[in-house]
Amino acid sequence: MTDTAVATPRRRNVLTSRIKGLARRSPTAAVGFAIVGLFALGGIFAPLITPYDPVHSFPREILVDPGSTFWFGTDGNGMDIFSRVIFGARYAFAIAVPAVLLSLVIGVPLGLWVGYVGGALDEVTMRVLDALRVFPSIILALAVVAAAGPSVLNVVLVIGVLDSPIFARVVRAEVLALRSSTMVEAAKAAGNPTWRIVMVHLLPNAIQGAMAQSAVRAAWAIRISAALAFLGVGIQVPTPEWGVMIRQGAEFMVTGQWWVALFPGVALMILMLGLNMLGDGMQDLLNPRRRG
Amino acid sequence: MTLLAIDNLETDFVSRTLDDEIRVAHALNKVSFEVNRGEIVGLVGETGAGKSLTAQSVLGLLRAPARVVGGEAVFDGRDLLTLPPAEMNELRGYEIGLVVQNPRTSLDPLCRIGDQLVRMQRAHRPVNGRVARKKAVDMLAAVGIPEPERRMRAWPHELSGGMAQRVLMAMALINEPRLLIADEPTTGLDVTVQAAILDLLRQIVLERSMGALIITHDLGVVAHYCERVAVMFAGSIVEEGTVDAVFETPSHPYTRALLSATPERLKLGSGRQLGGPPPDLYNLPIGCHYRDRCERVRDICTTPPPATDLGEGHRVQCHFAKDLEGQPL
Amino acid sequence: MKIRRFLTRRLTFIIPLLVGIVFFTFMLVRLGGQDPVEMLAGPTATQGQIDRIEQELGLDQPLLTQFGIYLMNVAQGDLGKSWISTRPVLDDILARLPVTLELLFLGIGLGALVGIPAGMRGAAHPNGWFDQIARAISLLGFSIPTYWLGLVLLFVFFYLLGWAPPGIGRISMMVIPPPTVTGSYLVDSIIAGDWEATRSALGHLVLPVVSIAIISAAPIIKQTRAIAVEIYSGDAVRYAKACGLPDRQVRKIVMRNATVPILTFVGTEITGLVGTASLIEFVFAWGGLGQYGLNAIVNGDFAAVQGYVLALALFSVVVFLVVDLLVVLLEPRNVDAT
Repeated sequence: MTDTAVATPRRRNVLTSRIKGLARRSPTAAVGFAIVGLFALGGIFAPLITPYDPVHSFPREILVDPGSTFWFGTDGNGMDIFSRVIFGARYAFAIAVPAVLLSLVIGVPLGLWVGYVGGALDEVTMRVLDALRVFPSIILALAVVAAAGPSVLNVVLVIGVLDSPIFARVVRAEVLALRSSTMVEAAKAAGNPTWRIVMVHLLPNAIQGAMAQSAVRAAWAIRISAALAFLGVGIQVPTPEWGVMIRQGAEFMVTGQWWVALFPGVALMILMLGLNMLGDGMQDLLNPRRRG
Repeated sequence: MTLLAIDNLETDFVSRTLDDEIRVAHALNKVSFEVNRGEIVGLVGETGAGKSLTAQSVLGLLRAPARVVGGEAVFDGRDLLTLPPAEMNELRGYEIGLVVQNPRTSLDPLCRIGDQLVRMQRAHRPVNGRVARKKAVDMLAAVGIPEPERRMRAWPHELSGGMAQRVLMAMALINEPRLLIADEPTTGLDVTVQAAILDLLRQIVLERSMGALIITHDLGVVAHYCERVAVMFAGSIVEEGTVDAVFETPSHPYTRALLSATPERLKLGSGRQLGGPPPDLYNLPIGCHYRDRCERVRDICTTPPPATDLGEGHRVQCHFAKDLEGQPL
Repeated sequence: MKIRRFLTRRLTFIIPLLVGIVFFTFMLVRLGGQDPVEMLAGPTATQGQIDRIEQELGLDQPLLTQFGIYLMNVAQGDLGKSWISTRPVLDDILARLPVTLELLFLGIGLGALVGIPAGMRGAAHPNGWFDQIARAISLLGFSIPTYWLGLVLLFVFFYLLGWAPPGIGRISMMVIPPPTVTGSYLVDSIIAGDWEATRSALGHLVLPVVSIAIISAAPIIKQTRAIAVEIYSGDAVRYAKACGLPDRQVRKIVMRNATVPILTFVGTEITGLVGTASLIEFVFAWGGLGQYGLNAIVNGDFAAVQGYVLALALFSVVVFLVVDLLVVLLEPRNVDAT
């Protein structure tokens, strides 16, 4: 066999083999990606998958056991839990995606700015962010949403703003490490303007660390928004949101109708698991030292 | 008497690329040399040549992705490469002492010097606490640490680099090992401190008729303190022999380049720079690994060079060893 | 002495921090959408009644004056009155604080007791079977919704198995609570020698404590592992192995060197776990500070909200201070430099 005969079929499969390589290097990330993808598809095609309207109430079918008619049973309002769980994925993504984007939009420039300028600005900003750490994030989110009024928009805004310091920290740390690197020194010496150094040298490197965090932060956003809904602040009944559904089912847990709260909780847990696995795997891939 | 005989030692790095292909680098390639009682052997070469890797392979201290794939390292009639980990652990620090490169980060930061010296003794045999402390103090004095009693209570961070290095020597010697392996023992120290520590090392090794292997990139150290020398390049020993023979009649182009690059010769104006970067272990040239950087390269260099014996243990791996022997630099 | 200097520096930093926190919570509640006067007066109140309430609360003053008055009051220990309980907020908080601390520290303690050894052992053989399982459990712990975990535990252990008491309160309603000494039923009943009360209090503690332990173990496992892996790959451990120290000793060295970073981490985690504990209190109707705070927030009881948030911040500050102090004491670098 000649060399070209070996090389040609291999080249054709570069993409698949690279994906296979990534998956083998981090099976965690691969499984996480699959889970998140499955939930995303479920959310997008929810109307096609679900047998019933998620907010349609069957007045004669209240608290029906899981079975062939209602796969996950019905809740106290006679609504189909399976349909509601599937539709719940929409709310999870509808909150997590914009919230994380908002955090990125606030956090990344902030981290770049204070990291690059440094000095007193950096010191003061970091102290203020440190001071915010004395509050548990869930309590802070709860207080702000309660004050601002319950709506999906407010939940997204609050979570996005509260979580932006995480990205600011990651980016700042990255910038501090890069700022004194030979690469940046050389770019400065060559007379490049500041904006160019930031955009060309600092941003692409710094954003990598931030991106690796984003999956874990999405899990956090979903967790907080569901907790708010569970407490009755934020998204309200009868929206098919998982936290709301767990709230509706809480009282039935001690009377035996376990399905009302169980299924939305399982869905919530699996999606968060997928996001956490994806995030963990991405961090491992970016930083092999962590693998130990 | 031979203390340690390394024979055809081979160590590989095995890793996987992003395209999921397995890559193997032959990091050590049929490394063979001996350390005898009462002599100091220098293992010399540039960064990445595999000097430390040789010591780690022999001592069973390799970490993934490196692993030994062949050869022997016989110490005291036992092959260290196949010894069960528990037995190897008993040998390390007891029969074979190791002095490492980074003394200040290597000592346990949360343990006083004296306690570490006692711990070292007790790890290998039961000793009465008072006896162990007495011995620790004596050992600190022996390696030239002033006020050893007081230093017993010092924390590692309180020591200067030179002091820390002396403490490491005390650690390595306290169990009276037969073999001492010193991996870049004086890197990063002042020249005067360097000399003092190496003088001390040589004195102790000869006094106790131990054997020692000094790993260094400094030819001056080899010339002053060693009986024999092995020159490493890209995982292979390219030249080996007595210090006199190798320094007087260097017969491998790499050794010759090294010798002509030492600062003294550069000062004299007859030196040449070492050409080129260290070779990529994953893509070594076929045949002689040095051929990409060699000024005498010929067609024949694509075949593996034979080991040429120039007599009295002076061995060279080069097609032109005989031609180069005795030629001026 | 270094420790005293450290303390004074820390304490001088805390005062402006607290003022900032008070201002923050003050503004948060004032600028919110809920009008406290309306809530207090009720829908049938006349304009005269509303004006009187506004005057009583000082709400007719400019915002900055209001803040000044509030700050003065806080400095004197007057946090205002809760509209729900109609008692001074400070009294409410002090009465409920030990109840929450008991739950919180037992939960985190249990979580650390399991999480730290698990993380250490995983790091000793990275990617070995134990490590894989520990990491999987940790990932799962990161992903379980706190309150849902409490509900599932209640369903299994109360409804199905009947082993646990119903999730209402801290002691059986059939048992007379012990006289208050510390505020923790468990400790107080032991002090009183009332074994029936002790058993009941302990039984009521199990599920909420286990819930918090599971949630808190996840980050502890992950971080302990990361810290220990770093130490294992460091020069000190490499050298210890080169010295032929037995594995047991090497593990001890790793443990000692991991203590300070782990302690620091757990200290920073406690703040976040206060939120977790509040949700657990909510599910188990625990009646501690967490539940009080959640109720206050949900119902717009703003004096109580301010007091509660201030108490949380103060608690975090104290925890950070204690952790920092311990770190200073544990580091030989600091102890000897006197």
